[in-house]
Amino acid sequence: MEANLQYVLSGLSIGGVYAMVALGFSMMWSVAKAANFTHGDVFMLGGVLTVSLMALGLPIWIAAILAILIAAAAGALIERFLVRPFNREANAIGWMLTTIAIGVMMESFGTATYGPLPQPLPSPLAVTPLRFGGAGVFPQELLLPVVAVLAMLGLRLFQTRTHFGRAIRAVAANRVAAGLMGIDADRVTMVVFAAAGGLGALAGFLIAPVIQASTTMGLVIGLKAFMIAIIAGITNAAGVVTMALAFGVVERLIEGYLSTSARDAFGFTLMILVLLAFPQGVFGRKEVSKV
Amino acid sequence: MTLTPTLRGLFAASVAVASLSGAAKAAQPCIGASWELTGALAHTGLQIRYAVEVAIDEINAAGGVLGEQLVLRAYDDQGEPARAVDNALRIGEQDECVVMLGGFRTPNAIALREPLDEMGLPWVGVISAGTRVIEHETGENEWMFRVSMKDRWVAPFLVEQAVARAPSGRIGLFYEATGWGQGAVPDVVAAAEAQGVELVAQETFNIADTDMTAQLIRLRDAGAEALVFYGVDREADAILRSMERIDYRPTIVSAWGIGGQLGNTAGALSEGVLVAGTFSWWGELEPRAQAVLDAMKERFNLAGPQDLLLPSGTANAYDAVHIIARALEIAGEFDREKLRDAFYEVRHEGIVAVFDPAFERTMERHDAITPDAYRLFAFHNGVMLPLDQTPFGTN
Repeated sequence: MEANLQYVLSGLSIGGVYAMVALGFSMMWSVAKAANFTHGDVFMLGGVLTVSLMALGLPIWIAAILAILIAAAAGALIERFLVRPFNREANAIGWMLTTIAIGVMMESFGTATYGPLPQPLPSPLAVTPLRFGGAGVFPQELLLPVVAVLAMLGLRLFQTRTHFGRAIRAVAANRVAAGLMGIDADRVTMVVFAAAGGLGALAGFLIAPVIQASTTMGLVIGLKAFMIAIIAGITNAAGVVTMALAFGVVERLIEGYLSTSARDAFGFTLMILVLLAFPQGVFGRKEVSKV
Repeated sequence: MTLTPTLRGLFAASVAVASLSGAAKAAQPCIGASWELTGALAHTGLQIRYAVEVAIDEINAAGGVLGEQLVLRAYDDQGEPARAVDNALRIGEQDECVVMLGGFRTPNAIALREPLDEMGLPWVGVISAGTRVIEHETGENEWMFRVSMKDRWVAPFLVEQAVARAPSGRIGLFYEATGWGQGAVPDVVAAAEAQGVELVAQETFNIADTDMTAQLIRLRDAGAEALVFYGVDREADAILRSMERIDYRPTIVSAWGIGGQLGNTAGALSEGVLVAGTFSWWGELEPRAQAVLDAMKERFNLAGPQDLLLPSGTANAYDAVHIIARALEIAGEFDREKLRDAFYEVRHEGIVAVFDPAFERTMERHDAITPDAYRLFAFHNGVMLPLDQTPFGTN
């Protein structure tokens, strides 16, 4: 019982990270039908930049806000210069190459400047765990699923209650029609990429006190978050967050009842099987387009 | 198969030409190296480089070797075995170095066995401790030497230390799922059997894993009171945090993958973690070691021992370079085969140990550092100290 509780708590923690990063993929895909494959590295910026700015003497909250703003700016720049020019035609895939390439460059540059070693990011919420019998979790870890769900709900409210939010939905539904209605689809897309970048960096900042801030911290998380977004149905934000939290728990259960080495093998196999059963994703809808 | 007289003549001539070209191809007074200089463990290459450059400086300032100044040709393998092989070929065939130094990772060293054999290039490891780096399955090892620890010898040491710290004698094994970690398992199992100790559980983790609670729950439920650990700082940090989550505090007795960085990241959680090694730069040093530390601080702008994150590896590298220089003097020329043979004649008083001789003509003793030089270190107040400078016992 204690063990199961531990797997759920640990799973929700890592699932919260997957959820925030996957939600970014969902936001970007919805408006651009493209993804920023540097998103794992943008997530990394949240931890690494916060630590670097704190080393310059800034207090943690100022450093974190600056890091998130820089990551958001990076998201916007990536959209403007690495996605948009390579996503003009239907079925264009040039953005894949450019974003993967810049991701590798970001990681290499980070290692050269920040150093290869993980650095601690102190947080009072990552010192004493909350214990439930023999199970435990740091309060910092509980923040992640909570923030992920709040971000998803906030996004939903923003998209339904604000003018700009409705513009995002319009661009997501039909980019050309939105343009004909006077919406600047390019601007909307750039803002969404910036928001996704900021959200990713927020996740990096929140998890860094638990896993340490390093230039490689986004590598696997970025990949898994994208796959989670795909099997959930990438345009369904609520579905993506739900799937990410569930996947985190499933991973921990596999570790608990099988082995750590089986985690990725079973996890990825499960993803493939789910995708076979639900080609549009578990929470996705079949996209119909008039030709 | 029988050869015609003409073919026999051609074959003999080609062998003769090949031999002549080989003989004419004298090796250069350079020490090649394949280290991780970029990537997630780039600090490991740097930690070796500190000592190697200082040792070469000392040797060159004293007149060099055989009247020649030694030079270092260091290449980045990014921790990848394939790149290590490329680097070895470049060092052996293009740079024509007389010897090559190894780096941090055991899989990289193991990947070099065939290329080194083919080139006849002596190799000296300074960290990678995998048993199979030196003790090849073929039963033959002509070219690979090591001034470092050996897992087969480390394992009994770790098991003995772990059992001494487990009141019930129940210990577990926790290791990274890499060539190094998996390669250590047979050694640890054999060591436990030899000491009549039961390994109550064996668990693995993957590189970059951040939550080890599942494995620790199993180790806890199996009753392990001390853990023999094979892994590096980042994953050790994750393990300490996972132990804290479930309030399980076995004594960790680690092979030397853990370096000083653990104290920086885990802070108070690292208190009492024990690490096997050969050397510490903390505390009062012998005059020669102090001079080496001072030289490294000056040349590389180090603050002090806290910047030497792989203290044993750095010290091993320093001794390895001096052993190479002594062997070259004995060889009398920059010839790889003569250097290899001279390794068996070297007697040298290093900072890690007295090497008398450095190596012997058995595969087992291609390792220069024998178990009597192994020491235990402990984290105390965030710093990895010799055990007798901590509250955790004495060596």
